Amino acid sequence: MSGAPDPEAVLAWAETVQSTSDKLLRRLAGEYHEDEWGFDEEFTETVFPLFEFLYTTWWRVQVEGATNVPGHGRALLVANHSGAIFPFDGAMIATAIQKEHPLPRWLRAMVLNWAFDLPFISYLLRRLGGVAANPANLGRLLEQDHPVMVFPEGQKGFGKPFAERYRLQRFGRGGFVEVALEAGAPIVPVAVVGAEEIYPKLGEAKPLAKLIGSPYVPITPTFPWLGPLGLLPLPSRWRIEFLEPIDLSGYGPGASEDRSLVFDISEQVRERIQDALYRGLVERGPAFL
Amino acid sequence: MGSEGVSGADLAGRRVVIAGVSTRWGSELARTLQQRADVSRVIGIDSARPTTDLGRTEFVEADIRNPSISALLPSLEPDVVVHCGIVWYPERDRPSRALHDINVIGTLQLLAACEKTEGLRALIVRGSAAIYGSSPAAPAFFTEDMARRYPLVTRFQRDIGELEGYFDNFARRRPEVTCCMLRFQVEVGPGLDTPFNRYLNLPVVPTRMGFDPRLQLLHVDDATGALAAATLNPVHGAVNVAPDGAISLSRLLRLCGKTAVGIPPILGGAINRRVGRHLGSADLYRDGELLLRYGRGCDNRRLREEIGYELAFDSEGAARDFARTAHGMKSLFPAPHPGSPVRSVTR
Repeated sequence: MSGAPDPEAVLAWAETVQSTSDKLLRRLAGEYHEDEWGFDEEFTETVFPLFEFLYTTWWRVQVEGATNVPGHGRALLVANHSGAIFPFDGAMIATAIQKEHPLPRWLRAMVLNWAFDLPFISYLLRRLGGVAANPANLGRLLEQDHPVMVFPEGQKGFGKPFAERYRLQRFGRGGFVEVALEAGAPIVPVAVVGAEEIYPKLGEAKPLAKLIGSPYVPITPTFPWLGPLGLLPLPSRWRIEFLEPIDLSGYGPGASEDRSLVFDISEQVRERIQDALYRGLVERGPAFL
Repeated sequence: MGSEGVSGADLAGRRVVIAGVSTRWGSELARTLQQRADVSRVIGIDSARPTTDLGRTEFVEADIRNPSISALLPSLEPDVVVHCGIVWYPERDRPSRALHDINVIGTLQLLAACEKTEGLRALIVRGSAAIYGSSPAAPAFFTEDMARRYPLVTRFQRDIGELEGYFDNFARRRPEVTCCMLRFQVEVGPGLDTPFNRYLNLPVVPTRMGFDPRLQLLHVDDATGALAAATLNPVHGAVNVAPDGAISLSRLLRLCGKTAVGIPPILGGAINRRVGRHLGSADLYRDGELLLRYGRGCDNRRLREEIGYELAFDSEGAARDFARTAHGMKSLFPAPHPGSPVRSVTR
């Protein structure tokens, strides 16, 4: 290629530069919106291309049943948890809704409490829609008709060794079921296959965790040996399946205090996710090819 | 005088005693109440003379920490007692040790005096939302029933917890008195002189590196208005006095045109001491430190629906109003001018 550049292309480029710098200056002056939870939609949209890249190119995510997530009103998405270092499973579930759902919405996520004690991570998560996991927050989000993700396995699922991959851990006390019953929100079980392989966790560096004040530091084949480079997730192949919603609006008031009902529903959700995981592993085939 | 429950109407002609009238909040309340026809007498008590003119408010010089308050208060025959004397933060002449005395012993003596006051129908305390603390695991919006969910970690929190305990005890013993505990969030506003407002007015604002707390900023007009509304229409139990919404510290500082400097934890102690001294508190007190790390939010449904106070500002509105008057070194990044589009310039 030779000769003068196309003037239209230069103009378009100059406009992009200007609108980007305007946006940056506007944000530096504090002129942007954040909701009462600290969710910053503009910021989320700005970093979204990174998630899109991970979704499309890096992890080649396949999605089943995105329309099982209601297009409006409250909903509770319950998923298996894995990843060991960063909660990319939540990010990919949210990206799947953005890309595959006819009525995309930003999901809010219940985040392990200690993540909000970590520098930088804490406010990054909050800006992207993360909220400290507790029943009061979940209830309020559902009352406001948000779609919310929870990972009832919590740290037990997120930080489990590679050898236990795709084996669902205990679902705690079923607190998420109680809140969903109170709010009359449908539960959408979600099975994520692929996130177990991105950081195969071999062990934990307890002294290092103590030193930096983190509740937990995983050891993977690359982390912390390769330093920051070890934070690069492995390019596994992913499959996310949104299962049929479980309607909870039919139970009367006080149903959330019925322990056996709560455990039944919690166990039902857990079994459906576990079945879908085994099915999804077969459907996906080899982890990396 | 009927002794049934309190409602706006049957308190007509009431006598109001304001303990801690020389504080900004006490003086503002006195000024608001004395303008009302349905308040027959406003009597202010404090150990120091008020610095501003209080008009028809009568002033009695007395220290609520002194047992003589038990003789004084019944003689004033109040229908309503408002306690504005709780001190939130240490200052140069009031080290944190003195706060315990003022807050806990003072409140205890005042409650003892209220026990002896016949015909008392309402007791309102200007407390603090600091009782909820600041923690990474906390609910984003505390409701009034969540007060002791987390351990009380700071001295001020424990003091507030203790005095709320005495207050609850009094409320149980005297069910005919409407006992209302107001839990105020952090206040900002033009002209307000508190450590937090001084902090926001620093030339360069130190923040904890890697943390950006979610704050609720109660506008000073709403703080005054809510206290008056609760005095005129008190409800039983605790009520959060908090604005709608929340704002992150980083955005607040940007709106004020301030430059924030993230302080790494290793320098935290030294910087906090220096900043604390500069702000006029003996140290950057622990409540402030935790607040500036984790933030805090409160649910304000009871204030809006039961007390019926309509807030004039949400958190963002209060921040913007404060930003109008903020001073100190301005940001390196002033607000952009509405840019001229590239095409109209180049063509």
